[in-house]
Amino acid sequence: MTKSLSDLKAVHYIHVNEEVCNGCVLCMKACPTKAIRVKEARVAVIDDGMCIDCGECIRVCPRGALTAIMGKSDMGDLSDHFTSVSASTVLYSQFEEGILPNDILLGLKRMGFSYVHDQTYTNEMFNVAVELFIKEHRKKDDASFPLISPVCPVVVKLIAYRFPSLLKNIPPLMTPREIVARESKLRLAARHDCPETDIKVVHITPCPSKMICIKEPVFQEHSYLDEAVALSNIYEDLKKNIQDVDEDIVLHHSGGIGLGWGMSGGEITGLDLNCLAVPGLQETIRYLEKVEMGLLNNIDYIEFRTCAEGCLGGPYTVADKYQAKHNLQKLIHMFGVEKRVKYSYVKKLYDKGWFFTDKSPISWERKLPQLTSSDISKGIERQNRVEEILRLLPRKECGACGCPDCRTFVEDVVEGKNSLQGCVFWESQKKKLRIGDNKVPAHIREDLPESD
Amino acid sequence: MANLKKRFEIKARDFVRAGEVSIEVQSLLKTIGFRANDVRRAAVCAYEAEMNVVMHGGDGVLELTVDPKNIVMDFTDDGPGIDNIDLALQEGFSTATPEYREMGFGAGMGLPNIKNHADSLEIHSKKGEGIHLRISFIVSDGP
Ligand SMILES: Nc1ncnc2c1ncn2[C@@H]1O[C@H](COP(=O)(O)OP(=O)(O)O)[C@@H](O)[C@H]1O
Ligand SMILES: [Mg+2]
Repeated sequence: MTKSLSDLKAVHYIHVNEEVCNGCVLCMKACPTKAIRVKEARVAVIDDGMCIDCGECIRVCPRGALTAIMGKSDMGDLSDHFTSVSASTVLYSQFEEGILPNDILLGLKRMGFSYVHDQTYTNEMFNVAVELFIKEHRKKDDASFPLISPVCPVVVKLIAYRFPSLLKNIPPLMTPREIVARESKLRLAARHDCPETDIKVVHITPCPSKMICIKEPVFQEHSYLDEAVALSNIYEDLKKNIQDVDEDIVLHHSGGIGLGWGMSGGEITGLDLNCLAVPGLQETIRYLEKVEMGLLNNIDYIEFRTCAEGCLGGPYTVADKYQAKHNLQKLIHMFGVEKRVKYSYVKKLYDKGWFFTDKSPISWERKLPQLTSSDISKGIERQNRVEEILRLLPRKECGACGCPDCRTFVEDVVEGKNSLQGCVFWESQKKKLRIGDNKVPAHIREDLPESD
Repeated sequence: MANLKKRFEIKARDFVRAGEVSIEVQSLLKTIGFRANDVRRAAVCAYEAEMNVVMHGGDGVLELTVDPKNIVMDFTDDGPGIDNIDLALQEGFSTATPEYREMGFGAGMGLPNIKNHADSLEIHSKKGEGIHLRISFIVSDGP
């Protein structure tokens, strides 16, 4: 039953500008969870309880009527706080040849952040944690495989909303961006002898979903990040600050593996396991269906990223995604694929619980509506009515009714959220039906003309 | 008791569409509101039986019948049928051609898998007369 989970979702994420939206069907057709309806052929409306923050609608809207709620567009005055910044590794792929990760980190420092924390080294540590987790996981009797990377927040939401039976396949490990934020707070608070709440941590991101998962993390009690800023928003400013960097502090410590995470396959390059990397939203859904059917049990770990080519295909990037991929590949080549993290050190941290979330993915399952057999009975009746009515429609899939497809329209009709008159073909279709036709459901027969 | 019947057609040797029927069944059962474990069991069996029709059988049909307590899948096809049913049910037995084995099929675990996941499996078949497979599940009780 496609239950709307509105009550689980507190934050409005994507905003439709009603002045600009002309009520076309593009976003509605692109939405993978069918969360959008066009009301009165005039304006798109998003059901927040169904939205997984993927950003497909933002991408396809030709008028720019859809926007994501964002962090601040400029960084404001950074001096009144201790502000630490970390960036998605995608940032390193956005500049021309010759600009190295360390230059970019120094550029950030020059922008006024009190502390710059590179994430790439933590990426490599995270790889080790995944290997350790899988080793233990294999020993469990009821272990389900493949495990699924917790890194992409859209994937996590997709699973929570549409594939909840796979929640147990997500290891309860904290993502590198969260670990970095937690450690920044800890270290800075110690250094300045102040409470951690005085430290602000900002994350530079290529994707809007990071912003929402800071406000509303699925698998953590709260996020350690305070703010996410769109990469495209700080790009020009950062570029200026990179130009005349003359310090030579070393802020970047990883090898090529930690740098590669921005592209599809980057995360699993560092794993000595049987892995797959699946980029793109439609492919992700297809493969989650396969995982659910148990067809990929022989795989240890899957890196899903819902953007094409991985995070460097995110909506808030600046460089062309293929150029960016090429840039990253060159960086990986330059820094080499040897791991720089010390296994024994990471193992010690792992054993101390350093990598684990405070809220396991499975706990989300308990929030989901529990269905009883009378619900199943209702579900069957509902499905029968949908099929009955669907047979009477010409199935043009036009979207003029304001629903993404004919089936969804009929589901809305059965749930009383729309009426059959909403179908532009219904009047002419009705003329073809006969009152005596027993294939026509009774409640519709009443509505038919007496004779011809 | 409310019940629902749905018919799905399966084309023999159509490896492009192979698997789509079981994905559709899975999504329908989920939409109705069956529990994840029942959906999974049914989907796994649907997949194995569908692939058998595609690979070994002839053009066929799946008739799905569900009510709040039962899920029943009837697969029929007009292919060559199964000569020795006991043998076909043995783990590892397969008549898959080398080509199919190259595609990753032919482990001979399909029918045994169905038997393990389903609450009952009936096979009716004679050589040259196609197959009729009835796979049934008793829906798990819940709150
Ligand atoms: N629909 C079918 N039509 C004809 N033969 C079948 C059919 N389904 C199964 N078989 C026979 O039963 C054997 C065992 O099937 P199965 O356990 O699924 O293993 P596999 O498909 O790997 O061969 C097949 O190799 C085939 O000889
Ligand atoms: Mg088989």
